[in-house]
Amino acid sequence: MRQISKSFGVVHANRSIDLEVARGRIVGLLGENGSGKTTLMNILFGIVAPDAGTIEFKGRPLVGHSPREAIAAGIGMIHQHFMLVPALTVTENVMLGLATTGGWLRAAGVAKQIRDASSAYGLGLDPAARVELLPLGAQQRVEIVKAVLRGAELLVLDEPTSSLSPPEVAALLAILRRLRKEGRSVIFISHKLGEVLEICDEVVVLRDGQVAGRAETAGVDRHALARMMVGRDVNAPIDRTPSATGDERLVVANLTERDASGIERVRGLSFSVRAGEVLALVGVDGNGQAELARVIVGIERPTSGAVFVDGADVTAGGVAARHAAGLAHVPADRATTGLVVDMTIAENLALRAFDERPVRRGPWLDGDAMTALARERIADFGIRAPGPATVVRTLSGGNQQKIVLARELGRRPSILVAEQPTRGLDPGATRFVIDQVLALRAAGGAVLYITTELEEALLVADRIGVMYQGRLAGLLRREDVDITRLGLMMAGALEEPSSAAALYGVPTP
Amino acid sequence: MRPILAVALALALTALLIVAAGKNPFLAYAALGHGAFGSWDRIGAGLNKATPYVLTGLGVALCFRARVINIGGEGQIALGGLAATWTALTFPQAPPVVLPVLALAAGALAGAGWAAVAAAIRLHRGVHEVLVTLLLNFVGVLIVSEALQGSLGEPGAGFPQSPLLPRSSWLPRVLSGSDLHAGILLALVLVVVAHALLWRMPFGFRLRVLGASAPAAVYAGISPARVLFRVMVLAGALAGLAGAVEVLGVHYRLIDGFSHGFGFNAVAIALLGALNPLTVLPAGLFFGFLETGALAMQRAVGVPTPLVAVIQGLTMIFILSAMGLSGRRSKV
Repeated sequence: MRQISKSFGVVHANRSIDLEVARGRIVGLLGENGSGKTTLMNILFGIVAPDAGTIEFKGRPLVGHSPREAIAAGIGMIHQHFMLVPALTVTENVMLGLATTGGWLRAAGVAKQIRDASSAYGLGLDPAARVELLPLGAQQRVEIVKAVLRGAELLVLDEPTSSLSPPEVAALLAILRRLRKEGRSVIFISHKLGEVLEICDEVVVLRDGQVAGRAETAGVDRHALARMMVGRDVNAPIDRTPSATGDERLVVANLTERDASGIERVRGLSFSVRAGEVLALVGVDGNGQAELARVIVGIERPTSGAVFVDGADVTAGGVAARHAAGLAHVPADRATTGLVVDMTIAENLALRAFDERPVRRGPWLDGDAMTALARERIADFGIRAPGPATVVRTLSGGNQQKIVLARELGRRPSILVAEQPTRGLDPGATRFVIDQVLALRAAGGAVLYITTELEEALLVADRIGVMYQGRLAGLLRREDVDITRLGLMMAGALEEPSSAAALYGVPTP
Repeated sequence: MRPILAVALALALTALLIVAAGKNPFLAYAALGHGAFGSWDRIGAGLNKATPYVLTGLGVALCFRARVINIGGEGQIALGGLAATWTALTFPQAPPVVLPVLALAAGALAGAGWAAVAAAIRLHRGVHEVLVTLLLNFVGVLIVSEALQGSLGEPGAGFPQSPLLPRSSWLPRVLSGSDLHAGILLALVLVVVAHALLWRMPFGFRLRVLGASAPAAVYAGISPARVLFRVMVLAGALAGLAGAVEVLGVHYRLIDGFSHGFGFNAVAIALLGALNPLTVLPAGLFFGFLETGALAMQRAVGVPTPLVAVIQGLTMIFILSAMGLSGRRSKV
């Protein structure tokens, strides 16, 4: 790809980007959200047409091509959200993308091809399995086999590890190495520096739609990459005072939550978080973390069990009551839950305070008070925006998350429930979030930090619990953590007996 | 700017249709303009026509802001008219100023009640509000018919209508030389009130948050059910008021089918006004004047009145297309 440029209105998504992927190489494409990675790949795959620049694949130019032509040329794209039909089998899903010969579906032949590919690359796929019953890692391998059987010589993987457990990530990387050995090429899009360094031969870093740097992975370390991504140094050591924990601030007792279809998402959880402590809950997405958070903050009522804030039972109260009691919440989904992206910064900062002084005065909303509050928070949290009246949608992911943090932490809460607070953020913004969490901890707050990233949990947490299928598979002090064991627990291979709970005190409210 | 351009385009396209019908479009539009604005009497008639549109459109706009698709205006207007009529006929001896106020209040209450029924079915039985409000329109209109066939009907009229209401219940005229009644003042006041409610009060904030993102509303501690119920009742009250105004200010009696088409025009007006109370006002006036002008156009040039519906429809399509095309989201 040479000199690729693309603008959407006034936004320059790509500016004269050169990207070259040699045969048998894995090239990492790094960059924060909005840096232009996705646009570049959409141009490559023919989803978006470039304003300028040329694409050449195996010596032949690709001009004005459609995704279908990209596939035919030998480019395979594996999106972050899989493009599979859940109710169909592996074979049927693979057949969907294959060119048919004659009028017959040759299911048996395709199934054999899948078995062959499965054993060749170590995919471990059963052609007859229904896709919706497969774990996410296996679904991703279905996508890979789909691309390979379509004859893809260049695979593009968009954030392929974001919903995988550590063992699944390791398996994926092994598969990619085998593909490389065969002479296939891979573009690996990620913002996880560790994985990129581990698997890629070279890295291209995008920032603001331009190439901010490129390097052989052998010659760089993560600090250099992070600097390229953000444009400044971000790896100053984290300021972490030893924990001086106080009283139990958040207590969760025997919490059980069934979803609408009657399935238990949270199964009898009990734990507590003390003042000045960060408890991280790690786990692969979908193991009950989201439901747990919703029950704790009051969006959902538990089927049974209770939640205590500073000793008071708040189980009967709603979201507003718990928020008033000092419970702050950074939800996982910034764009639809944490923020109203079509409203202004000032309105978003007042989202949880609009019904009380100073924003509400008598029956009126005080626009001036709202603006004043917004100015204060924008300054305190270094939100980069033209002003309080700026519509949130126009801001970067990092600045959007700063608004959420400013709103939730600006009121000096006693407890913070943070769900995936760094998801999709670049290293600079991630660092900001972690610093804010640790500042709250230092001020005596209790933090429940829900994340899928072990490394991040180790950075912030005093204790780490592993969520697996709605239960705590283990609860360990930070000093006692063994990463391999935690990884296995996340994958459900190990269940730490309740001894951990006994050791660190199941609360008796 | 965009809505004005859309109106111009719609008029231009309709001109082609008028030409196709063998008439002179310039004469036709001159007659339309004269019919709408040619005298105080005509202006008064247009404003009278616009009043129920503005009132009902305000309620629809507030509902749509919260993503509550209430299309029950028609039935709510009908029952508002019914309640106002009943009140005026039942308490003819009430003092002159009190009676219209009482009748207006009864109309608003009836509309609100009818909307509350729809909201309750929506919330407790989970039936989508589009379906509930649509179906309750038929029920509401038929209740009015039933009442006019029975106790409320004028004996020997030969047409389902109520007896003439006592003069003391009529809305006062506010412009000499025209039929303009006080309803328009009420509409103007309520436009300002709705604007303040939407943009300056906590309830409006809740509405806008809910409409922009339901998960964010729940996260912020806003109850979607409570907001839905309240905004529907509010819209019902406005529609009921519109029905009462129409009865007390224009017809001075309840006539079968008097609300026909009002509810759906109100939806169009709310959208044309970009769901903003202050712009619902000109949108409602546009529809009102277009209709009074159209009658004159028909008389003068012989252009069929249905062409007015064509202009309205084309304008809607142009405006909504322009909004969609711009890709720009309006502020919520």
